[in-house]
Amino acid sequence: MTITIDHLVKTFGTASALNGVSLEIPDKSFVALLGPSGSGKTTLLRIIAGLETADSGYVLFGGEDVTDRPVQRRNIGFVFQHYALFRHMTVAQNIAFGLTVMKRRERPSKDAIAARVDELLALVQLPGLGGRFPSQLSGGQRQRVALARALAREPAILLLDEPFGALDTKVRRELRGALREIHDRVGLTSIFVTHDREEAFALADTVAILSNGRIEQFAAPREIEQAPASEFVRDFVI
Amino acid sequence: MKSATTEARGIRALLIGLALVWLALIILLPLLAVFAQAFDKGFATFWAAIVEPDALAAIRLTLLTAIIVVPLNCVFGMCAAWAISKHDFRGRDLLTTLIDLPFSVSPVVAGLMFVLLFGANGWFGPWLIAHGVRIMFAVPAIVIATAFVTFPYVARELIPLMSAQGKAEEEAALTLGAGFFQTFWHVTLPNIRWGLLYGVLLTNARAMGEFGAVSVVSGHIRGLTDTMPLHVEVLYNEYNFVGAFAVASLLAALALVTLAAKALLEWRHRDSIAASGH
Amino acid sequence: MATASALPAPGGAGRRKPIFRRRVAMPGLGLTLGVTLLWLGLLVLLPIAAVIVRSLGLGPAHFAEVALSARALAAYRLSFGAALAAAAINGVFGLLIAWVLVRYDFPGKRLAGALVDLPFALPTAVAGIALTAIYANTGIVGGPLGKIGITLAYNPAGVVLALIFIGLPFVVRTVEPVLADLGQDIEEAAATLGASRLIVFRRVLLPEILPALLTGFALAFARGVGEYGSVIFIAGNMPFRSEIAPLLIVTQLEQFDYEGATAIAAVMLVVSFAMLAVINLIQARERTWRNGG
Repeated sequence: MTITIDHLVKTFGTASALNGVSLEIPDKSFVALLGPSGSGKTTLLRIIAGLETADSGYVLFGGEDVTDRPVQRRNIGFVFQHYALFRHMTVAQNIAFGLTVMKRRERPSKDAIAARVDELLALVQLPGLGGRFPSQLSGGQRQRVALARALAREPAILLLDEPFGALDTKVRRELRGALREIHDRVGLTSIFVTHDREEAFALADTVAILSNGRIEQFAAPREIEQAPASEFVRDFVI
Repeated sequence: MKSATTEARGIRALLIGLALVWLALIILLPLLAVFAQAFDKGFATFWAAIVEPDALAAIRLTLLTAIIVVPLNCVFGMCAAWAISKHDFRGRDLLTTLIDLPFSVSPVVAGLMFVLLFGANGWFGPWLIAHGVRIMFAVPAIVIATAFVTFPYVARELIPLMSAQGKAEEEAALTLGAGFFQTFWHVTLPNIRWGLLYGVLLTNARAMGEFGAVSVVSGHIRGLTDTMPLHVEVLYNEYNFVGAFAVASLLAALALVTLAAKALLEWRHRDSIAASGH
Repeated sequence: MATASALPAPGGAGRRKPIFRRRVAMPGLGLTLGVTLLWLGLLVLLPIAAVIVRSLGLGPAHFAEVALSARALAAYRLSFGAALAAAAINGVFGLLIAWVLVRYDFPGKRLAGALVDLPFALPTAVAGIALTAIYANTGIVGGPLGKIGITLAYNPAGVVLALIFIGLPFVVRTVEPVLADLGQDIEEAAATLGASRLIVFRRVLLPEILPALLTGFALAFARGVGEYGSVIFIAGNMPFRSEIAPLLIVTQLEQFDYEGATAIAAVMLVVSFAMLAVINLIQARERTWRNGG
């Protein structure tokens, strides 16, 4: 699904987080929002998700205005930096959550939910761990569960906020590969936030570089490397 | 060898001894006195004082009051904690302070407030009398005064706990399509249940034991508007000490159960109530 | 291939201008804040307003006459004096108990720790008659004390005693966590500099726990000023001598002297709010001091 970001402005108190950001993200692309801390990248992601609201500007999914649509009805999957798994639920219950809270009419049967959970556990390569609690998993496993949970309702858009930020280098590499593979297999439009240049360039089709609430450059990694659009981009990526 | 950061054995023993003697004098001895006096004339006399009709009426009224007040303040406390800990709005700090107000109001002043509202020459008194609604010197006033006094307990317990837990799990639930009630029921409530239980226990203990505020608004009609603490006072002033201490011992037992439950909660679920202030 | 394409002007086709833009994503604010404000307004603010408005209605001269009558002044003096004395005693013994509970191991420690909370849970009337049973001159402590000429019941000392009972957990429970948080390293550092234990306590530990101790003291004091149930059984309740302010309110209500009761209640309310402000100030100071340090 295409995502259109149109002149988003957001201020927190007196500090401005986004100063009129616009982006056109094509269907099925894998985009990184890259920038130093305080550049507004997480705010932008959260506004796309509907977890924050912009002061002005618009968000469109597939050409449709979703700016005022509540987060629950945006059909997005969101992966949090610190997983935000439900501590008191098993892995299977975590993954099934999005399905079990559906209205009775739309909700799949118990068996269908169980089958979907197994399918997702296989997708994130954690078969058989459905009965565990999040506290019994490693950081990498937790993030895989969070990913499976986000995919349960078959969202068209997957949003990830520093998804590998809390993990060590080795696990980070493994998970990156898995994420890219899942993105391609499921046919998602994915946006992930990172402050790690190498990660953004290795994983994304297109990278948006943010600084002080503005997009400095939005282009393929190679293009950015060859022709940085500004002094800031040159300093930041090279 | 003497450690640099602790006291000599003798001084340590002295300090421990002093602390324990003080605790015994101020707290343990009075507690034991309640039960000693209650059973002073044997179990039969104790039992007779409990099953006597006025005592039973007082027990019923106390239970009724708690059954009405505790759920109300529980719902209020959860609402206040959700608004204050999961949202940001202007005046939030002021609201938090206002919620604490009943803690610092004398129970007697609290009772008086409701006399000024619902009494015969209070703000709403004439209207209530004209319409035959009885609030003062009846069960409604007792319930209202108790609700005032126990107002902050649940909120006070939950606000620091829910603030410390942050919003990430709730946000995750929202992105998965859950609405407000689903998020609260499936995600927030399981995370705060022990803290909530603790707040409910405190509310209940205070609701059943409130004396000053209820004393002012109850009218002391024996068998009708006397709660257990008021009944204790009546018996005591009639020099029926065994009766007074018998009813008092039930309240003391309630306090002990509350403390035991609290100790158990702290021991079993230290992490999930640790954020609370006390 | 994606590029930073030129976009149509904001508010273009397919975009409606929202009349009301949702400001927060987290749901439930309207409902929960509504319930909170309604319950707070009806149950707390309206009654408090009633006292304030009614006492203002008395007019300054009449208000002063009833709120500052000789009997009322004596009652304030007792309520505030006894609460101050009790809070001071609790400051000392509360600190001692907190210290012992945090620093030392001894048999019965858990029980002692649980006992500290009893005044929070025990109904005040029960505490009142229990303290009287022990400290009146027929009681097991009051009797021997009476023989050597010390009476603790039916006089102002009884009031202080009851308020010591009521206020003790406030001090212990505020000081305890701060004491537990204090690392041993500063003490060790002080000790390596040659300071004796007493000097370490006075110069290093006491300044660290002073804000918490002050908070506990203020909480115990505030609670003591308004306390009623535990006091009236042991106080003796003689006007001008052992009559606390809350009791005077009750007495005046029983005599249908609503004006007198309201005026005294207004004075106590104002003092309570001042105390609340002071406590908040101490705690705010403590927080900034801790974060800064």
